[in-house]
Amino acid sequence: MTNAHGRVSSTLELNGVSRFFGQVKALDGLDLKVNPGELVALLGPSGCGKTTALRIVAGLEYSTTGSLTVNGVRYNETPAHQRDMGMVFQSYSLFPNLNVTENIEYGLRARKMAARDRSKRVAEMLTLVELGSKAKAFPHQLSGGQQQRVALARALAIEPTVLLLDEPLSALDAQVRGQIREEIRRIQIDLGITTLFVTHDQEEAMSIADRVGVMNHGKLEQIDTPIELYTNPSSPFVASFVGLANRISGEVSAAGVARILNQTISLTRAVSAFALGTKITAIIRPETLILTSENDPEATRGLIALKSFLGPLTKLGVAVEGSPLIHINIASSDVKHLEIGQHISFKVTASEVMAEHA
Amino acid sequence: MKISPFKWILIGASAFLSLLIFVFPLFAAATYSFRGEAGKGRSLANYRWLLEQDGFYPNLFTSLKLAALAGILSLVLMVPTMVFLNLKAQRYKPLVDFLCILPLIIPVVSLAIGAQVAMPEFVQNSEYELVFFFAIIALPYTYRALDTSLQTVPLKTLVEASRSLGASWVATILKVIVPAIRSGILGALFLAFALGIGEFTITSLLHWETFPTWTVGAAQSNILGAIALSVFSFVGAIALLATISLISRRGTKPESLESEDEGVLL
Repeated sequence: MTNAHGRVSSTLELNGVSRFFGQVKALDGLDLKVNPGELVALLGPSGCGKTTALRIVAGLEYSTTGSLTVNGVRYNETPAHQRDMGMVFQSYSLFPNLNVTENIEYGLRARKMAARDRSKRVAEMLTLVELGSKAKAFPHQLSGGQQQRVALARALAIEPTVLLLDEPLSALDAQVRGQIREEIRRIQIDLGITTLFVTHDQEEAMSIADRVGVMNHGKLEQIDTPIELYTNPSSPFVASFVGLANRISGEVSAAGVARILNQTISLTRAVSAFALGTKITAIIRPETLILTSENDPEATRGLIALKSFLGPLTKLGVAVEGSPLIHINIASSDVKHLEIGQHISFKVTASEVMAEHA
Repeated sequence: MKISPFKWILIGASAFLSLLIFVFPLFAAATYSFRGEAGKGRSLANYRWLLEQDGFYPNLFTSLKLAALAGILSLVLMVPTMVFLNLKAQRYKPLVDFLCILPLIIPVVSLAIGAQVAMPEFVQNSEYELVFFFAIIALPYTYRALDTSLQTVPLKTLVEASRSLGASWVATILKVIVPAIRSGILGALFLAFALGIGEFTITSLLHWETFPTWTVGAAQSNILGAIALSVFSFVGAIALLATISLISRRGTKPESLESEDEGVLL
């Protein structure tokens, strides 16, 4: 695939990649394909193996088994400095003794690029990250966001086959994080560069990636578009990890159906094989709960214990006997009359829910 | 912060003691060194005598040369070793730490004789064997200076960033690590140089002549000249220390510039 700048995008593939640290399996047979020009985010809790996977791709860590290819060429034995991959680190990692220009041209000097071409490329990169006025500044004279933009420009200057982003926004404050995130996405789409992005922040992954891979215990639990991942999680772990979810007790009342609160609700196909009478924990999104009349036969009564205004939505925390606090997200305009301490009735609107053994 | 009267007394007493023990003898030595003929008047006669001695320049040059080479040898050996230790072999650091203390523990006679026989004959027959000894006795200090400096920089990330941008190991060490730990390197260089230039025991045991061994003989014939020699050596060492400290401070960080735009820094 060729982008608007005439650059060819690459395909990155990991097949059965594992990494052991002694007896510990940090990565367990990872299969992943990142298509040309695609941005894939690896999401997961600490220690799930996402950073190990990225470091194996970068050549900073070796895999115990499996193969790594870029455009079909095996990269397992290629040392890091010969991989032509641009990497942006969480801690910026700019060279403190070099100014912005020198940092950006570092990789170009390593490739022995002619001075004139180097200057031209640096100017392009500075324009791309909108830091032309800081060309002669040193890293300690820049804010965190500016340093990360320089790091991005430095990684892109070498025209890498694959761009690797290792939690590049973690060290930034919330407002700057949002801006840099959008900037990374804009540049990535503009250059059409194949990108692997690692993060533990689900909002970050969902908002920036074409596809998100959720990892747990060294394995890829599910890889899908953000919307699919949210609406059709393949496992209870993915359902719990992606988005907010209530964990509500229930019991299987018939094949593929469970009694949850005062309702009978179908279980998703992925977990519908529970035996009759099995105690389960249903995973129910706050936005699938609605207020209803107390005369509704499916209604559950509860006491408002918490009310948080979130702008267009308000989050209610409802105390129900025998259950942890249940969160309901409702349009703020519909809950003006509700106060903490008031009783309400609500029910689940989802046609089917994800569940796991209690 | 307000300082209590008791602390003022302590500070005053410390300053007075320092003056008495350190500054007063130096002042006295400097005064003596400027005494004229037969102890009368003030002149530079003793310094002139010093500079006119046959062995002054050759021995001073020999010492400077050997000490400089010892400093360079220390850095060539220690910088890559310390980088490797801190990056890839952290668990061996206690062992290396212990090995580097050995020059302080092993008696100088054992070190001089023992290490000399381990060297090839062509090195044993050359004054350049002292370079190796100077580097060995400086080891406890160079190790610590470099280690402390390496602890203050995010070594692993800088190396990984450099490698991922296509730089070789040599380029990474020379262009990224060395500038980042410049103050530690200069400190290690100075310590090795200072120890080399002032080393007497091993040089004397191995029958070589450098500036410190030459001064012992030269000082016997002229007591005021010997005092001038002491003052010269002391002032020279202080000047060297100040110069290196100045260079290292100037090189570590560029002066801070005010941000040109006053808006929110991204």
